[in-house]
Amino acid sequence: MPDQPTHRIVLRPVQTELTAPAGTALRDLLFAQGVEFPCGGQGRCRGCRVHVLEGQASVNDAQRERLSAEELANGWRLACQCALEDDLVIELRQWDAAILVDETPFAFEPRAGLGVAVDLGTTTLVTQLLDLSTGRVLAVRTALNSQARFGADVMSRVQYGVAESGSHQLCHMIRQQIGSLIEQLVFAAQVPHGEITDVVVVGNTVMHHLFCGLDIEPLSRYPFESERLGLQAFHAGDLGWKLSSEARVRFLPCLGGFVGSDILAGILATNLSERDDLNGLVDLGTNGEIVIGNRQRLLCASTAAGPAFEGARISMGMRAATGAISEVAVEDHTINCRVLGNVPPQGLCGSGLVDAVAAGLELGRIQPSGRFTGGAGAWELAAPVVLTQSDIRELQLAKGAIAAGIRMLLDRFGAPASNLKKLYLAGAFGNYINRASAQRIGLISFPSEKVDAAGNTALLGAKLALFRPEGEDGSYARIRHLTEHVALNADQSFQDTFVEEMAFPNMGARVWGLGAGETPEPNTQNPAPRT
Amino acid sequence: MTQFEELQQAIIDGKAPASKALTETMLKAGIRPGEFFPKAIIPAMDEVGRRMRECEFFIPEVLIAARAARASSDILRPLLVGDEAIRSAGTVVCGTVKGDLHDIGKNIVAMMLESAGFKIVDLGVDVTAEKIVDAVRQNQANLVALSALLTTTMVNMKSVIEALTAAGLRDKVKIMVGGAPVTDAWAHSIGADGYGKDAPAAVELARQLAAA
Repeated sequence: MPDQPTHRIVLRPVQTELTAPAGTALRDLLFAQGVEFPCGGQGRCRGCRVHVLEGQASVNDAQRERLSAEELANGWRLACQCALEDDLVIELRQWDAAILVDETPFAFEPRAGLGVAVDLGTTTLVTQLLDLSTGRVLAVRTALNSQARFGADVMSRVQYGVAESGSHQLCHMIRQQIGSLIEQLVFAAQVPHGEITDVVVVGNTVMHHLFCGLDIEPLSRYPFESERLGLQAFHAGDLGWKLSSEARVRFLPCLGGFVGSDILAGILATNLSERDDLNGLVDLGTNGEIVIGNRQRLLCASTAAGPAFEGARISMGMRAATGAISEVAVEDHTINCRVLGNVPPQGLCGSGLVDAVAAGLELGRIQPSGRFTGGAGAWELAAPVVLTQSDIRELQLAKGAIAAGIRMLLDRFGAPASNLKKLYLAGAFGNYINRASAQRIGLISFPSEKVDAAGNTALLGAKLALFRPEGEDGSYARIRHLTEHVALNADQSFQDTFVEEMAFPNMGARVWGLGAGETPEPNTQNPAPRT
Repeated sequence: MTQFEELQQAIIDGKAPASKALTETMLKAGIRPGEFFPKAIIPAMDEVGRRMRECEFFIPEVLIAARAARASSDILRPLLVGDEAIRSAGTVVCGTVKGDLHDIGKNIVAMMLESAGFKIVDLGVDVTAEKIVDAVRQNQANLVALSALLTTTMVNMKSVIEALTAAGLRDKVKIMVGGAPVTDAWAHSIGADGYGKDAPAAVELARQLAAA
């Protein structure tokens, strides 16, 4: 075999240039650039399609199924199905046009100027610079939230913040970091600072309070309700940002408890508040956030799922980065692991954890109670990465909290689960989780065809807010009025439901392929047999 | 298998109806109520604690086992009043501290302590220091067990200890603390008498503190 050559890849419209060895999966390259893969990169949707302007990218069956002959002939490809085999210039559909979760274009009044959408996550910051006249993305920058050194989850951030001058420090830190990301966007796109007229920021209630400099003490204790949930508006000059001092910066309002404007943005992106039928949105993170409803009524809640989905408190857990086992599939009674970045495995990320436990249940290595069959203490997935008994327990806590939250909201809404038309999974993890595995472990107990990965709905909603300023100042009074926040922890039956949902569904002896796109129906609701 | 062993197994397996039926059958056969705790319920819950420690049992199994133990002890307790009363291992006032709503861990500890022969006064969640002081006084408790699951609320454990001291009750009770963010060092720093890292450890600790 000859020496492996490298290829160059240019991304448009953002003009990013990368170099990587031939054969590198485009998915891994683009993921690092903030590109989303709604179906988890399984070739089951069209979310990652790219327009190849120069160079060759091969077509496979999955692409023939999802793209028309005409699209293929015109150079459209699914990025998740391509490997780097030539120097490429590609255009990303995701960044090219203003489209909603279901790929319908969103209406907007073109106007002069540039805008910035910011998804301020507890862990990750995502920013996009947009041309307000075309809806095009001009640059993307992501970073880890610099506050993270003061605690990974929102509660430890609150704890740090309630201490003397802690919240002042966290406020200063995050404003400065977003300001510097905006400078990077401007630099990358080679546009004048002064053309940015609008910045929209979304985040959970703790991020909202810390950014806006509000008192977070009410969020440190029961009932975890702040009175200052509304829209907060600033001028860029007030924040010390190098933009026109008159540029408007808005942090969208929160919905209640810890459910913040990231979920409000999710409602905008998925149109939940405009539809007659019942739909839901779940953001799987350290704090799992859930909203269900229709145009008449929305219920939202947050539930502490713990950090298992982000690979934390898992013995060999890691973030979804190079070296992480991100998928585990069952093939011929054995397992096959996919490692991000095509390197030897180093650890297990959230999606890999969910897959591994689903595979363990499938192969009979894990009992519905969560116990390893025969009392084994660990299972080697791919040396040196192992899954331990306590890892499974962590996942049971996380999935129990989410599943119980969904059940409780549906109960409260007075609707049977079968009435739910679609359940959207938001956030990075929602992008990567295998829906069949999520169903197998009872995390999302809905058939796969009802579950859609919606990508970063927080960022998309923030963009919508940028483009629809007329008649909507960003306070979203109607949606806030429709939405009731349900404090799950205060509901005694939540505890029982949570414990019940810790067990894995007992699927009997039915055998089905994991990750093969098959959608099993849960064939029994029997309680899990105890070993 | 003796009947006591059968009852132990029913509890470990979390079979509440079987536990109740067996208890009734054994009572009819003339077994004294006082024998059930040392010969069946306490050893069964000790075994549940062991399995929990070894990751064999998780929260659901422990809860259903505790429910099965309760199905038996609910029948027995009224019969234990009077001359045949067993020596109570002690009276424990327990609760999740103010500002915190986490219930499950505290419930498991309470149920396991109950099965170990302690009298439990469970004040629930979001419990103020005053409420704990009152309950200690009213019930002449000798143990206080406090739970917190949030880093922001565990500071309230300290307030409880201060309130007990101010009320002149500190030397009448032993105080034990637990919950995910709580550590041994924290327990020492606030002047608690002990830290239970999990439910079985809490039972062991309660036994030691009550005997001291």
